[in-house]
Amino acid sequence: MKQRLRRIIRKEFIQALRDPRMRSMLFLPPLIQLMIFGYAASLDVDNAKIAWMDQDHTPESRDLLSEFQGSGRFILAGFPNNERAMQTMMDRGQVDAVIRVLPGFARDVKRGRTTSVQVLLDGTNSNTASIVSGFAGQCIARYSNRSMQGQQKAKLVSATESAEGPVTMAAPQVASSTRVWFNPDLRSRNYFIPGVVVNIITLVTLSLTAMAIVREKEIGTMEQLMVTPIRPSELIIGKTLPFVVVGVWDMLLVMAAALLVFHVPFRGNFWLLFGTTLLFLLTTLGAGLFISTVSKTQQQAMMATSLFFQPFFMLSGFTFPIRNMPQLAQWLTWLNPVRYFMEIVRGVFLQGAGIQALWPQMVALAIFGVTILWLSVQRFHKQLE
Amino acid sequence: MNYRRTKAIARKEMLHILRDPRSLTAALMQPLVMLLIFGWALSLDVDRIPTFVYDMSQTPESRELIRGFRGSRYFAIQEEVHAYRPIDQAIDKRACLLAVVIPEDFAKNIGLKQPTRVQLLLDGSDSNTAAIAQGYAEAVVAAYSQQLQVPIQTQSGNIPATVNADVRVWYNPDLLSSNFIVPGLVVVIVMIIAANLGSLTVAREWENGTMEQLLSTPARPAELALGKLSAYFVVGAADMLIALIVGVFIFHVPLKGSVTLLLVSSSIFLFGALGLGIMVSAMFRSQLMAYQMGTLISFLPAFLLSGFIYSIGNMPRVIQIVSLFVPARYFMEVARGIFLKGLGVELLWFNLLLLIVYAGIVFYFAARKLRQKVA
Amino acid sequence: MLANSQSGPAVHIDKLVKKFGDFVAVDNVSIDVSQGEIFGFLGPNGAGKSTTIRILCGLLPPTSGRATVGGFDVETRPEDVKHNIGYMSQKFSLYDDLTVEENIEFFGGVYGVSDAKLPARRDYVLEMAGLEDKRRAMTRTLSGGWKQRLALGCAILHQPPILFLDEPTSGVDPIARRGFWRLIYDLSDAGHTVFVTTHYMDEAEYCHRVALMYGGRVIALGSPEELKKSLGEGNLLNLDSSDVRGSLSVLEGKPEILEAAVFGAGLHLKVRDPGIAIPRIYEYLKQAGIHVLTLDSITPSMEDVFVSLIEQEEKAAA
Repeated sequence: MKQRLRRIIRKEFIQALRDPRMRSMLFLPPLIQLMIFGYAASLDVDNAKIAWMDQDHTPESRDLLSEFQGSGRFILAGFPNNERAMQTMMDRGQVDAVIRVLPGFARDVKRGRTTSVQVLLDGTNSNTASIVSGFAGQCIARYSNRSMQGQQKAKLVSATESAEGPVTMAAPQVASSTRVWFNPDLRSRNYFIPGVVVNIITLVTLSLTAMAIVREKEIGTMEQLMVTPIRPSELIIGKTLPFVVVGVWDMLLVMAAALLVFHVPFRGNFWLLFGTTLLFLLTTLGAGLFISTVSKTQQQAMMATSLFFQPFFMLSGFTFPIRNMPQLAQWLTWLNPVRYFMEIVRGVFLQGAGIQALWPQMVALAIFGVTILWLSVQRFHKQLE
Repeated sequence: MNYRRTKAIARKEMLHILRDPRSLTAALMQPLVMLLIFGWALSLDVDRIPTFVYDMSQTPESRELIRGFRGSRYFAIQEEVHAYRPIDQAIDKRACLLAVVIPEDFAKNIGLKQPTRVQLLLDGSDSNTAAIAQGYAEAVVAAYSQQLQVPIQTQSGNIPATVNADVRVWYNPDLLSSNFIVPGLVVVIVMIIAANLGSLTVAREWENGTMEQLLSTPARPAELALGKLSAYFVVGAADMLIALIVGVFIFHVPLKGSVTLLLVSSSIFLFGALGLGIMVSAMFRSQLMAYQMGTLISFLPAFLLSGFIYSIGNMPRVIQIVSLFVPARYFMEVARGIFLKGLGVELLWFNLLLLIVYAGIVFYFAARKLRQKVA
Repeated sequence: MLANSQSGPAVHIDKLVKKFGDFVAVDNVSIDVSQGEIFGFLGPNGAGKSTTIRILCGLLPPTSGRATVGGFDVETRPEDVKHNIGYMSQKFSLYDDLTVEENIEFFGGVYGVSDAKLPARRDYVLEMAGLEDKRRAMTRTLSGGWKQRLALGCAILHQPPILFLDEPTSGVDPIARRGFWRLIYDLSDAGHTVFVTTHYMDEAEYCHRVALMYGGRVIALGSPEELKKSLGEGNLLNLDSSDVRGSLSVLEGKPEILEAAVFGAGLHLKVRDPGIAIPRIYEYLKQAGIHVLTLDSITPSMEDVFVSLIEQEEKAAA
């Protein structure tokens, strides 16, 4: 039996690695995906583009402008003169927001009248808009505080000249001091890239397994194999083992790139990650096997992979936090093995979490993996008869 | 180009599609699944941030500050704790995203009119949510701080002049992320179909041996490409319509611009996407490799580099330049422009031109690639 | 339309060479096939037959040399070539998920049969192939023999003057094969030139002329009669004995025996002079204690011819 097994595995490897294009296909896409994802995927809004419409033209309005410029969060993309120009800039999507200082701004400030500055947000990208709104609000608030204190000082100067005696200059101020754990620079890259590792492992092992098995069906060599004394279990192991190797290899590749190129912190235990990856592979290989049993052609296998991969992956907390989902969706994610693996990978990378913290996820993965694999193997067996 | 031959090929392809109900169903379900996920389940909107409060002051002043958090829809106060340890544990368990720590001498300092600090602890793992949460939290504290100054100011006879931000949101007033995502989904769905279906069609004929037969007939490569493309165009168009209808009628995404323009530009984009798929398919004789390449070239860039979720402006220069070559990017602007901004041809003509040129170029190369020899 | 319908060979191959890297698949082949001929291209697998056909159909570019089909050069005017030929590839290449009728209609459309003419042609092909009551059957449900007939039918929808059939009978039962060749005869009678490759030696007898290919080269060219004659009249003997192996080892190398080869349950012996050889053979075998059942002259088959030619080649190479 070992003999036959070895032969099958050998055949799979030869088939997979013979074609130089196939070879590069096994390793290149993961790297490219990582690069693109790593560099492109970011929800950070580092350089929000704003247009500045100053209809007041006073030292006060220019002061406000310097507050924005000094914040380091904005790029001034233009100074539209009129409504039309501003409308066009917004329509063209050239700016994320237009800050508009209305006429009479300085007058109101000097007279101690509450006034406002218009922040016109491009709401198309609601996420960016929220963040830009926050930044703009902070700049305006800072300016407001400064100007109030300036007024205070001015009043105090005149007040000390009055007969009432010293008035304390101090005013109560509450400031916040923020400490960010795990990802102090709030670089979303650190959050995403562990997720990309999961993405790549899942996609590769899932699709390759499904397509490789179905390929034999389509070409007809499956029948050929069935005539030999080979046993179904040997066939399954033989077919899936090479992809375990590919999956692990890809994981190492992507990890290395993540650490060396993107400097994502890795605070946890490598062997823990390795072990849980193997655990997770039970699920993906099982799913790949399952898909191969419901597909007659490679095209069907691929459509099925695509159809099922998407929801499982997107609902795993990859880009979109599970927390934000409707309650029903959140409950559904309990049934998503990718969610658990995602938590493990992120935990190991960013939090240096160990078994004590992650054992529930590992148990969940184990249960899912074994169940899915078992069900698929049963189905596969039945189909071979 | 011979009409009859092209028609024969298109008809054959259509029969293939119809005779494979599983693939067809999967293809038609794709938009529904994606809409369900992206339109309903996924959201970047941040609210109900799980917050822990550690109030070492326990004074009316600190309660006042806490009320600021409680009253905000952005925060959901989970627990009030009396030590740091529970906060640690909660953050580890992802049960707490933000912890507000109020120092013991909080009220005292306020009374003495001395500056005092409130500590905000954030779980930065999910940096996006964390950044937004930070913004909101700091705003609450700042508002409280300003509020403190009001009585002082009024006491000294000043009317405090605050400068406020008057925020108006254009195009998507409620800042619904579904309005942002759903138009973009049309783009992504088209690319998926093109990548999945288009990329396999030629490679499959090679694997089955029918390609050789086809090549021995008078059928020209361009006819082959057009015939195949036409058949898959029907499927792609069906998917697009499904996405549009569900998006508009079930998710209530506003469609402010011209429907005709949307349909026309979508068709142009679909043509180009399918052309790319077929070109990829012609490059490989193995379906497996065609699929991998198709995903890499069609789907990934459309998903990541088109501005679907991640804004291009934030990417490194190099990647931004790469994104210039991704047609999905241009169509994304068109789709969002028509849906949310009600833009017309006057502002979108350049993008449309690019899409037309792209479709032409890709089709040319696809036909060229098909002018193949057997070995 | 053919470039030169009256004069000139239907297929003209001139010093054709095809190399794949260092491997020479087609080695300096020159052949002319006349119009209306049934021309057979024989040889074992890997001899270069399929490669040659593919070049003639415009599917492969030659490394050197020329070929014209219907008067059109395969390299410079492949489109014109394709209009004038019908090609049946080795795997019959039909679409499994289309019905018989749909396959016919597809190929009709792609070969440019006009909408007006197609129904008649379709019915003709269905009748010719005997598939009328199977016209709505899914192609994948057909057995090998029926698929083969359908593939042939699809190749003649546009009434091409020249047909290229690459191993059309491989994997098909003998009765179906016979039936198939009857169809080929009908086509030849109707004026089509048929260029067939096969590795079934007996099918060579059905052709007007035959070329034997081995190792990329044509080692014999002529009608079946001519080729058999080249073996010499009456020079082939068939020996049925009690010990085939033993007979072979005894007789091989004897001066009267030119060649000896196992053939079925017996031995084929090529001799210089049967009158002298026959008694000698009896002696040799009697000495060896082998009992002779029958020993008589037979007409050589194409296989005999071929085996003989190959052995000559190998001797010459050695």
